[in-house]
Amino acid sequence: MPQNEHIELHRKRHGQRLDHHERKRKKESREAHERSHKARKMIGLKAKLYHKQRHSEKIQMKKTLKMHEQRKTKQKNDDKTPEGAVPAYLLDREGQSRAKILSNMIKQKRKEKAGKWEVLKVIRTGKRQKKAWKRMVTKVCFVGDNFTRKPPKYERFIRPMGLRFKKAHVTHPELKATFCLPILGVKKNPSSPLYTTLGVITKGTVIEVNVSELGLVTQGGKVIWGKYAQVTNNPENDGCINAVLLV
Amino acid sequence: MALYNFKKIMVVPTSKEFIDITLSKTQRKTPTVIHKHYQIHRIRHFYMRKVKFTQQNYHDRLSQILTDFPKLDDIHPFYADLMNVLYDKDHYKLALGQINIAKNLIDNVSKDYVRLMKYGDSLYRCKQLKRAALGRMCTIMKRQKQSLEYLEQVRQHLSRLPTIDPNTRTLLLCGYPNVGKSSFINKVTRADVEVQPYAFTTKSLFVGHMDYKYLRWQVVDTPGILDHPLEERNTIEMQAITALAHLRSAVLYVMDLSEQCGHTLKQQLELFNNIRPLFANKPLLVVANKCDIKKISELTEEDKKIFADLTAEDIPVIETSTLTEEGVMMVKTEACDKLLAARVDSKMKGKKVHDVLNRLHLAMPAKRDDKPRPPFIPEGAKVGRKTMEVDAPKRKTERDLEMEMGDDYVLDLQKYWDLMNQDEKHDVIPEIWEGHNIADYIDPEIMKVKEELKVKDEEMQEIRQLAKQIREKRKMKIVCSKEKDVHGPRMPRTVKKVERKTLEKEMGGLGLDMTGKDAVSRFSFSSHYAVNARRSRSVTVLKKRKREASVAPTSRTRSQSASRPPRDQSGVRDPKMAKKAKKLMKSQQKDMNRQGKKGEADRHVFDLKPKHLFSGKRKSGTNDHR
Repeated sequence: MPQNEHIELHRKRHGQRLDHHERKRKKESREAHERSHKARKMIGLKAKLYHKQRHSEKIQMKKTLKMHEQRKTKQKNDDKTPEGAVPAYLLDREGQSRAKILSNMIKQKRKEKAGKWEVLKVIRTGKRQKKAWKRMVTKVCFVGDNFTRKPPKYERFIRPMGLRFKKAHVTHPELKATFCLPILGVKKNPSSPLYTTLGVITKGTVIEVNVSELGLVTQGGKVIWGKYAQVTNNPENDGCINAVLLV
Repeated sequence: MALYNFKKIMVVPTSKEFIDITLSKTQRKTPTVIHKHYQIHRIRHFYMRKVKFTQQNYHDRLSQILTDFPKLDDIHPFYADLMNVLYDKDHYKLALGQINIAKNLIDNVSKDYVRLMKYGDSLYRCKQLKRAALGRMCTIMKRQKQSLEYLEQVRQHLSRLPTIDPNTRTLLLCGYPNVGKSSFINKVTRADVEVQPYAFTTKSLFVGHMDYKYLRWQVVDTPGILDHPLEERNTIEMQAITALAHLRSAVLYVMDLSEQCGHTLKQQLELFNNIRPLFANKPLLVVANKCDIKKISELTEEDKKIFADLTAEDIPVIETSTLTEEGVMMVKTEACDKLLAARVDSKMKGKKVHDVLNRLHLAMPAKRDDKPRPPFIPEGAKVGRKTMEVDAPKRKTERDLEMEMGDDYVLDLQKYWDLMNQDEKHDVIPEIWEGHNIADYIDPEIMKVKEELKVKDEEMQEIRQLAKQIREKRKMKIVCSKEKDVHGPRMPRTVKKVERKTLEKEMGGLGLDMTGKDAVSRFSFSSHYAVNARRSRSVTVLKKRKREASVAPTSRTRSQSASRPPRDQSGVRDPKMAKKAKKLMKSQQKDMNRQGKKGEADRHVFDLKPKHLFSGKRKSGTNDHR
């Protein structure tokens, strides 16, 4: 026993209180009451967090109990990585019901409508701030490596440096792995061809990414180094571009 | 780290706790209210502040962890090696490196998102960006779960290491397991190390302190070392090796003469020769322990030769027994002396000593004549020094008495008392007498007081006599005067009517001029008083009351009230004045009544809007009270 573990040393030499075990047993049995009292009396944000945590704990407990009765229930395992392909006969079980899909779609549309705003912001210039021919892009965009601005007096579309992104987080749909790959260019923006020429990246845009990192090879033995990917999030809200590789 | 105080490291929270603490701190310490219709720069600033606040918190906390944990390159090599043995240097550095990386990543995330937020056009967009930023920072922290757990365990163990000062005078005990190292340190210092019959009882380094020659010495007890090559040593043995390698101390190699530790003397000698290189430049001593079971003289020839060889090499071999304490003191003094000599030597050889030496000068007085002048040492000091050196007990202690008598022994401290009458030493002291607690009446000065009292007693006797006589005389006088009861029962003074004649006579007697109607009337019942009429009537109707007639006054209550006027009428001349007085009183009270005061002395200031009820955020709860 190390030199300054005084509590443990005392316990080793003199033992514990005469009623130690009884007290310990009673304290442990009282825990259930105290926990329930706490859960009932807590209010506010603290309570919300606590209840959420407790809810997930209870689900796990229930699963363990069920597992003792039947052996087929699977429990949430933090360390295991999620599986890849799902066999067809399991698809039904894991797919959502139609109603749920519809309600999700409606919610999505509502959110989109709420958050919609102009892609191009009007910039006023001139001595009396009356001229309004300049536009600033308010969404995330991509400009190439060899991009140089037009002289400021003549540039019509301003793409601010803070909104220029070079990399995208691309998920491979079959490998279920995400890589951070450099963007080669914007192929097509579904909203408008103007956006495509400007390089604006919104949700649903098809971009070309550099996949040399993945080490894909064609049938003929040539190395694939560029592939298309479709953007799956709103980059201006999340600050990053998430895309799914189009295989 | 000069102090080697590893106890000051702050607790390292788990990753989940860390995230919870930081996020709840952000929620509490930054403003929470924002509306869609606020100006856009205000909205942006609000959310940017949250992102920066979270980043700042993470950064501060992580930097603190990085600075608290000792850098292995900065501390003394003894501790660096010890930490390497216990915690694995690579793992330690990696964990701290990960924390550093996490800190930088969080800073970058915050920078990026603050930059992006400048282009936020709406509340929704800024809010989503803030959410993304905080989420990313928390994900980075979630990935540090393993590092944080490891660092917490390191911190707990590090704070429990014994504080060994690598630079001070140290004695190091080493040898096979179970030879008696821990018993030795228990005997010499106050360290309470566990001693058990199985090997490897001591599993880590233990430190104890002792005094010798007015200096503080450290004694370090190590776990036992077995005889195999360095690569195969386990963590416990490696601690001992580290201590041997880095601490500049006197080494005491402990051997077991009786071979009860499970290893023969030959094996012990083997080990000694194997670790000999570690003893370079260190004063060495061999302690032959457990000599109460077997002495060196009782050993075989070849075993004796071992010790003879050692002595020949100038390594002192001392027989000891930690059970009977034989030779323990000798070992202590030998080792300490050797170490002191070695330290002084090395200091003399060093560079720093010269500037001290230059300033030292030993003055030898020149002889004047042939008269011898030896140093004067008082007798008491000589005796004291002798007793200190001999190390024999000076008087028989109670403990020795107890050991002798065994079960019969009773602790009797009353035999040391110094009383006037020596026979009374063992008397029982009563505690209660006649219902009184004797302890309440104890006075240390009681004898002195008694003496003083005796002297005063004689004087007091006479005074008491006199006082008694005076008292008696007084009582007689009272009794006599009581017998002279001429008047019988008396009426209270207020009812009595005062005759003008008597008044004139009395006052004239006292020297007051009573001639003239004004004087009499002014003195007794002047026109100023409202009861003037009643009074003057009673004065003119002079009637001497006779006891037999017993004519009662007109109305007892009225005459009583006549003599003592009510307060709002005393001093008031006529009804007009009374009315005025009353008006004045009421007007003064008006102000107090309006303010709700109890009276003119009521100075209470009411707190109608206490601060604690009218400030602060609207937290959970109802809105009834505000």
